[in-house]
Amino acid sequence: MEGLRNDGRRWNELRRIHCQLSTSSTNADGSSYIEQGFTKVLCNVTGPAEPSSRQKVKQDAATVTCEVYFAAFSGTDRIKRGRNDKKVQELQTAIQKTFASVILTHLFSRSEITISIHILSQDGGTLAACINATTLALIDAGIPLKDYVCACTSGQSTSIFDNEGSTPDPWLDVNYLEESDIPSLTVATVGETEKIVALSMENKVRIEMLEGMIAVGISGCAKVKGIMDAEVRRYGKTRLEAATGE
Amino acid sequence: MTSIKRMLVDPSSNDSITSKVYIRSAKSGKVTKIVREIYLRTDIPCSSRLCRACLANAPVDSNNRSRPFVLSEKPAGTTQYKHGHYLMPDTNIFLQCMDAIEHKSAFYDVIVLQTVLDEVKNQSLPLYNRLVSLTKADEKRFYVFHNEFRQETHVKRGQEESINDRNDRAIRVACKWYQKHIEQAAASSSATAPAIVMLTNDKANLAKAKSEGLNSTDLNGYVKGLKNADELLDMISSSLQDLEKKANRGANVYAEYFSLPKMNTGVRNGTLHQGTFHTSTYNSLEGTVGVPSFDKHLLIVGLENMNRAIDGDQVVVELLPQDQWKKQSDKLVDQDTLTKNENADVDEVEAIVTERERRALIDEAKRIQRSQDESQKVQPTAKIVGVLKRNWRSYVGHIDPNSVNRAKSGGQQVVFFRPLDKKIPRIRVFTRQATQLLGQRIVVNIDTWDRTSRFPVGHFVRALGELESKEAETEALLLEYDVQYRPFPKAVLDCLPSEGHDWIVPEKGTSGWEKRVDLRDLLVCSIDPPGCQDIDDALHARLLPNGNYEAGVHIADVSHFVKPNNAMDDEAASRGTTVYLVDKRIDMLPPLLGTDLCSLKPYVERYAFSVIWEMTPDAKIVNTKFTKSVIKSREAFAYKAAQMRIDDKSQTDPLTEGMRILLMLSKKLKQARMDAGALNLASPEVKIHMESETSDPASIEVKELLETNSLVEEFMLCANISVARKIYEAFPQTAMLRRHGAPPATNFDDLRSQLRARKGLDLRVESSKALADSLDGCVDPQEAYFNTLVRIIATRCMLPAEYFSSGTQAYPEFRHYGLATDIYTHFTSPIRRYADLAAHRQLAAAIEYEALDETLYNKNKMDAVVKNINIRHRNAQFAGRASIEYYVGQALKNKSTEQEGFVAKIFSNGFVVFVPKFGIEGTIKVETAKTYDADEYILELEDGRKVVLFDKVKVMVNVVKEQATGRRKTELTLA
Ligand SMILES: [Zn+2]
Repeated sequence: MEGLRNDGRRWNELRRIHCQLSTSSTNADGSSYIEQGFTKVLCNVTGPAEPSSRQKVKQDAATVTCEVYFAAFSGTDRIKRGRNDKKVQELQTAIQKTFASVILTHLFSRSEITISIHILSQDGGTLAACINATTLALIDAGIPLKDYVCACTSGQSTSIFDNEGSTPDPWLDVNYLEESDIPSLTVATVGETEKIVALSMENKVRIEMLEGMIAVGISGCAKVKGIMDAEVRRYGKTRLEAATGE
Repeated sequence: MTSIKRMLVDPSSNDSITSKVYIRSAKSGKVTKIVREIYLRTDIPCSSRLCRACLANAPVDSNNRSRPFVLSEKPAGTTQYKHGHYLMPDTNIFLQCMDAIEHKSAFYDVIVLQTVLDEVKNQSLPLYNRLVSLTKADEKRFYVFHNEFRQETHVKRGQEESINDRNDRAIRVACKWYQKHIEQAAASSSATAPAIVMLTNDKANLAKAKSEGLNSTDLNGYVKGLKNADELLDMISSSLQDLEKKANRGANVYAEYFSLPKMNTGVRNGTLHQGTFHTSTYNSLEGTVGVPSFDKHLLIVGLENMNRAIDGDQVVVELLPQDQWKKQSDKLVDQDTLTKNENADVDEVEAIVTERERRALIDEAKRIQRSQDESQKVQPTAKIVGVLKRNWRSYVGHIDPNSVNRAKSGGQQVVFFRPLDKKIPRIRVFTRQATQLLGQRIVVNIDTWDRTSRFPVGHFVRALGELESKEAETEALLLEYDVQYRPFPKAVLDCLPSEGHDWIVPEKGTSGWEKRVDLRDLLVCSIDPPGCQDIDDALHARLLPNGNYEAGVHIADVSHFVKPNNAMDDEAASRGTTVYLVDKRIDMLPPLLGTDLCSLKPYVERYAFSVIWEMTPDAKIVNTKFTKSVIKSREAFAYKAAQMRIDDKSQTDPLTEGMRILLMLSKKLKQARMDAGALNLASPEVKIHMESETSDPASIEVKELLETNSLVEEFMLCANISVARKIYEAFPQTAMLRRHGAPPATNFDDLRSQLRARKGLDLRVESSKALADSLDGCVDPQEAYFNTLVRIIATRCMLPAEYFSSGTQAYPEFRHYGLATDIYTHFTSPIRRYADLAAHRQLAAAIEYEALDETLYNKNKMDAVVKNINIRHRNAQFAGRASIEYYVGQALKNKSTEQEGFVAKIFSNGFVVFVPKFGIEGTIKVETAKTYDADEYILELEDGRKVVLFDKVKVMVNVVKEQATGRRKTELTLA
């Protein structure tokens, strides 16, 4: 009602995003941590390194593998998700496919890049947070990418601002309550190009609504990119200052 | 599509984000903790037209529009607040005084805080909905202020603070902020600032507000300063008014309810049972509760065991020991006999069992002991230990004149309100206008029913007019059955085609004709009751070259005009059905559509949704087609005119020939249906002729059924079945269907033993076919009407048919018992039934004419739609019947006649007589009966006359003013 969502945001507003690089000092080549609202994700990247098995060896490119772990306490209900859990598998595939197309893999033939993601808390937009965290960890590891991959969700609300025949607003960056209530999608773009590298939707929605949802999602991606970029630059600056002994 | 233009929340500033922790406990007993973020903002407008600052910063939606501001720049003043005021009520004010708040004369410019709105929602969904509709309508200027989301007014709960205290504080903080904000706004436009008045009845909160320098008052104090204070004060919930009185009340009359966990546990482990309580139609001291674990209903005998439950309440019951099980009373008991001399304003402790009641119960017990086959007829009894959900609503009735103290001229007194619905107990009402309200039809709401009070306590809502005046009685009836009869709001009318009555089917090939078939050449006609304006359906038939027939049913294409989820659709969905009263029709859709643009009027082109079959000469369906179409009806017949045209041998034109084909096919369809076991049930239908000038009812006749009635009916059934199959195939989870459950055999127990005892007839009820056949066998060669009488009684043993969404039932349960078909829906009357409109949309999607709206494939939303239309449908039937009853009463006024009647039910102290001529039934009470033979169903009267079940009796039909309802009613006496 009155154009406000259940957490006080308006239709076109992101949740609070907090992100960090190099969060883990042990045996990862790159790491990151991101909070989007109360969705919290930790990502470690190792590689390029010797492939862990022979099947993963590609002659002309690096192999990208992805492992996702849900902390049992991450959702509202305590659920343990094993390796073969459908949701885990789906996430792994989506992330793996997305980044295999963005990492300049041809530079690292016969090697493996492993993305390992820990989901600590889920409050909607899990896939989007995973993708964003991965981008940051890859940057931290110094693995060359075509550009930032940034993801964001959008939903189609059913509430109408007023009665006069307008379509209801699409909502940017849905939280958990909204996600369980209305149809929503996750979209990921490369840099500021509006080029979509991943699009995932698990509910039905009327086709007329789709365009608006995607448009709002894409504009959210650009916003997310700005925030991530600022953090990368800030972090880079502190590293540089430390290195030059200032 | 606009993109993100600005980010109103600054993510770097931490004080703009806070979190809210919820503890949610699920039904399963599991407790989850939910943490949610709250984004605090500074762009939530105050919505006062005085304020320029908020206007400049007003938020916009994705279409770049912002909401107009709500609160008036010059709000009304009172003696206390001369420069005008905005009201800011707390939660309890809305919970207890909604009727007064909705009143036209006061409560304008109201700020509804989000804190308050949420609390109202948690406490009462109906009240919440009423509040939301106030905020949506323009006239009363209610504005929802999201104080929880505005930085300055957000309040964090203190460590030791209770939720209630925190919410009270939030209201005061919002009040303070508003006051300052409005003062600033007024100063900048050099106006005088209206006061922000906090309304609360909480003494502690009032004191705190005063000490913080806020304007605040309790409701009584506020209302007393208004013009029509007496009327408004009456509308305020009695719970506020007699708080003090209650405190010094004496002992409890009723047993305390079990706690909710205790009830839940009991129901789960089977020691307690849950069901809906129904008061007996004939005995207000008795009710039943149907529970899943018993075949027979559980009997609830006596007010003590009923324990404050009212007809329709969801209750939990505990079984009484077997030695207290009873036979269902065969005695007539109404409230009048029981409570004739009671005083509404009893202050001493009231005894639960009055002398009269006790005597009635003892009589009852004695009679059971005498009865021979006690073991067979005895029913389990139970007592109510708690109410899960109240079925309270607004009640229409009048004030019992005997309870009014006429000598008392001013001030408040307690009176008895007698609801029209006899299943509802009398309600004690506190009023200051007792003498003015005498002789008026009024509306009352129940507030509470405490253990200390023998009767529920309620408050006055509004007066409808004088008793027996046509306007008041019609409105009473509409209110009683919750029929929405207000004129269509502007938002709804705005959805109509702008051409109005000049709208025509556009030129062929232009927009609107996509995927539509041109059927204008078909010789289509409609057959309806005389004077029918909303013509839903039309038909055609013709011989095909291959010797088969083509028959078509064409239904008004309402879904072309009513698009999903606009204001008109919402209105139609909530009305659910058109309601037909004797002299009034309350439309589901605006008349422009119903009686013109959608109506398949003759000689003009209309959009239609057509079902076209190829049938063999034996009326077997070879092929079914569904299509949107354009038709042109050649003629609109009344049933009688159509019949005459068909019977007139000299007419051989193709239209008449087509009608003859339809008639021929319909007879075969009917035969096939009857062979499958369809029931031919009877309900008394009468028609009331109105004198055209005075619009007074002049005479009554029983409706005549012609072959053409059945012609139309058969084809409509056929279309409904065909459509049902198609939409179920396309939407197996959410197809809009209609089912009629097989009645449990026990429903017929009484009728079976009565038929066996009286006529030596055997009624078989194992299937609808068996029932249909044995009903055919229920004939009395001496009395032709006997068969109809049995059918009428049998009909009352049936379950009601209901709409459902296909995913909620297993396929075998789809069955329509009465029509003997495996699947059924309503498709043929979209102008007057919302179910049909939903079926139209689903069929249109099934044939890929257009995409289906989400509402009709989302299970939860479908369930909500179905639930509502089931209620509306039932209420519409009740309202229609009540209207006929009222007009029969008016028509027979001052005309005492002797009529033939039949005994339909018999009690130890009375019997029910049905009078076919007027389609009415009445109860005749016998004060002193000589003997009563319960096994043979014979009652011997003092004068030696015998009243025998099913027999013909001569009765005098009089019309009297009924004490209990203040309504004119037919009264029967033995002639
Ligand atoms: Zn303002």
